[in-house]
Amino acid sequence: MFLNAIEAQIKWGIMLFQEIIHQVGTLIRLSFHQMFDWIFGLTLINTAYKKIQSFLINILSMAPVPEHVSFIMDGNRRYAKSRNLPLKKGHEAGGITLLTLVYICKKIGVKCVSAYAFSIENFNRSKEEVDTLMNLFAIKLDEFARRANDYKDPLYGSKLKIVGDKDMLSEELREKIKKVEEITKNGDDFTFFVCFPYTSRNEIFHTMKNSVESYVKDANPITLSSFSRNMFFDKYSNRCDLLIRTSGHNRFSDYMLWQSHENATIEFHDKLWPNFGFFLMYLIILRWSFFSTIQRFNQNGGPLGKGLLRRFHVFHLRKDSFINVDSFPEPPISVSITGEAN
Amino acid sequence: MGIKEESCYLQRQSSDEECIPIAATRVPPPQGSVLKGGEVNSKSRIIKAVTESVLWDQRNTEIDNVSRSSSATSGEFWGKKMGKFESFFYRILLVMLYISYGLFRYGQYQYNRMRLRILNLIYNPANTPQLIRQDVMKLQKIPKRLAAIVEMKPVGDLGGGLKGLLNDSSELVCWTVSAGIKHLVLYDFDGVLKKNVNELRNEIHSQLSKYYGPSNVPRYAIKIPHSNKIYFNDPNTDKENENNASGGDQEKTQEKKKVSIEISLLSNRDGRETIVDLTKTMADLCASNDLAISDISMQLIDSELTQLVGQEPDLLLYFGPSLDLQGFPPWHIRLTEFYWETDNNEVTYSVFIRGLNQYAGCKMNVGK
Repeated sequence: MFLNAIEAQIKWGIMLFQEIIHQVGTLIRLSFHQMFDWIFGLTLINTAYKKIQSFLINILSMAPVPEHVSFIMDGNRRYAKSRNLPLKKGHEAGGITLLTLVYICKKIGVKCVSAYAFSIENFNRSKEEVDTLMNLFAIKLDEFARRANDYKDPLYGSKLKIVGDKDMLSEELREKIKKVEEITKNGDDFTFFVCFPYTSRNEIFHTMKNSVESYVKDANPITLSSFSRNMFFDKYSNRCDLLIRTSGHNRFSDYMLWQSHENATIEFHDKLWPNFGFFLMYLIILRWSFFSTIQRFNQNGGPLGKGLLRRFHVFHLRKDSFINVDSFPEPPISVSITGEAN
Repeated sequence: MGIKEESCYLQRQSSDEECIPIAATRVPPPQGSVLKGGEVNSKSRIIKAVTESVLWDQRNTEIDNVSRSSSATSGEFWGKKMGKFESFFYRILLVMLYISYGLFRYGQYQYNRMRLRILNLIYNPANTPQLIRQDVMKLQKIPKRLAAIVEMKPVGDLGGGLKGLLNDSSELVCWTVSAGIKHLVLYDFDGVLKKNVNELRNEIHSQLSKYYGPSNVPRYAIKIPHSNKIYFNDPNTDKENENNASGGDQEKTQEKKKVSIEISLLSNRDGRETIVDLTKTMADLCASNDLAISDISMQLIDSELTQLVGQEPDLLLYFGPSLDLQGFPPWHIRLTEFYWETDNNEVTYSVFIRGLNQYAGCKMNVGK
């Protein structure tokens, strides 16, 4: 009786124990599976990658960054060749890279990005390829317009401008460009210039012609600054701070001659354009920021030095600008050794 | 054509008030300006600059007098403001990032310097033109026109001041002659070389006689496209020429004008300003109906600018630490190859010959 009762108790206990183990086991197994999925699933790596990206970008958003960044996208065809893909795929991959980099630049705080999408000289390529590029361009235009108007999208609030000799394009493409530019014209904090079909000499030539016309018609004087303002890139025409060319050629190929022949930092990189990713871009901008921090420190003096000087009313220890000798305070009275004062 | 005379007139008119040194007002690209060294860029100052940037809202400090379109406020990110604490946190991280990058860059710098030192030992012309020609003979092709950007270093530095600049330029001339290149463009921002053209002629003469011996110095012509002047050989020969010319010995002077190298001196004045001046000239001509607007074409502009500045160089050498074009005439660098050595800060033969080497290996495909 007594034993039976104990036996039942023990049996029940064992069953309970087994049940618990089973439950816990499945729970662990399930959660392990989940964790497994979670760790190795693309989402996590993706989110981690995105998190790291935005963390890094957050850091750099404290630093000075270039205002106008420009890309020469070279190497799409070589990329396609090296992977045995049709040419079209290479150009598509290049388009994706471009949009990613534009998005990164916008996040970092760059005001304006321009890209060399199609050169006037490219019309010499085979008809098939030119057509492919035109079609791809039209598709990308639509995509960009959609994303620029979608407030959830990182590209929201950017202005798209197509620059170049548009007379060389087909009628319908020109219509489309007009429409897209109209849709995105309110984006003020970020401008994206696509040079399609563009060469820099062509740009200078058009500016010269327009300046002459406006001089003849309205007698607008021609000066260096007015000339610069009349160029294709609106207020960013005067200079491009950072010019990046991929795939290892060390020349401009008729791009941004006016904008980058003076103060631009020019980076030539060996990677093919579709392989040019976030970290390379980040490194290049970090380098720019690092050296401009030092440059600005040298030009303006550090915050500490300035603050101290202001606090103790010490004036003009550094030569800030040239001033007239008459504007100095009067020196003490001059007395000669014989005692005669004047 | 009328326009040519007009622009020549314009040249002569403006040549008197030209050449105000404005290099001090130019903001060079950051990397180049820091790596060039000098007193301001000592190591301790760089560390100070980096660490003090914690306390500094850099996005709102203007660097140049040219007003930027609109400055972003620091910490504004995705439209939402960052808190004070948060932005301070990120600023500290930024400084840490800077310090680690700076250390990395310092290592890279030392490595590059070491490499350059070894290269300078390997490629050493030792004032011997035969060696240079031998080096060049290995190449498949050489550029027709070579351009080089030279700059005046601070007076206190080794090879600084006007003397150093003249020395660098004349050495470059010697190498170019020896390599067999017929055209050399020397660009310096302020036009110091233009102003000291007589000193330059003397310097080139003495340098060339070091290479080729005083008795058979190669003939050279120095062209200043901006003021439309040509000088032949060194200043002492001017008098001889005059005597010859007055003696009616035309053939001899003709022979003297056959040169083995033609050197053009350019400065910032030949860049943007020349293009704007040409526009003004054309505008005046159009206003007085001497030129129709429809006649302005790419060919016309190209030929005018070739007339005013010269032809496009094939290879551009820069002897500074990171590429800085310093306002080299923009119309003339369309397809020009650039060559410079990272972290190098001297005019050396190794850069010259390696530049030619790169040019020999590069493929030209316009648009294709």
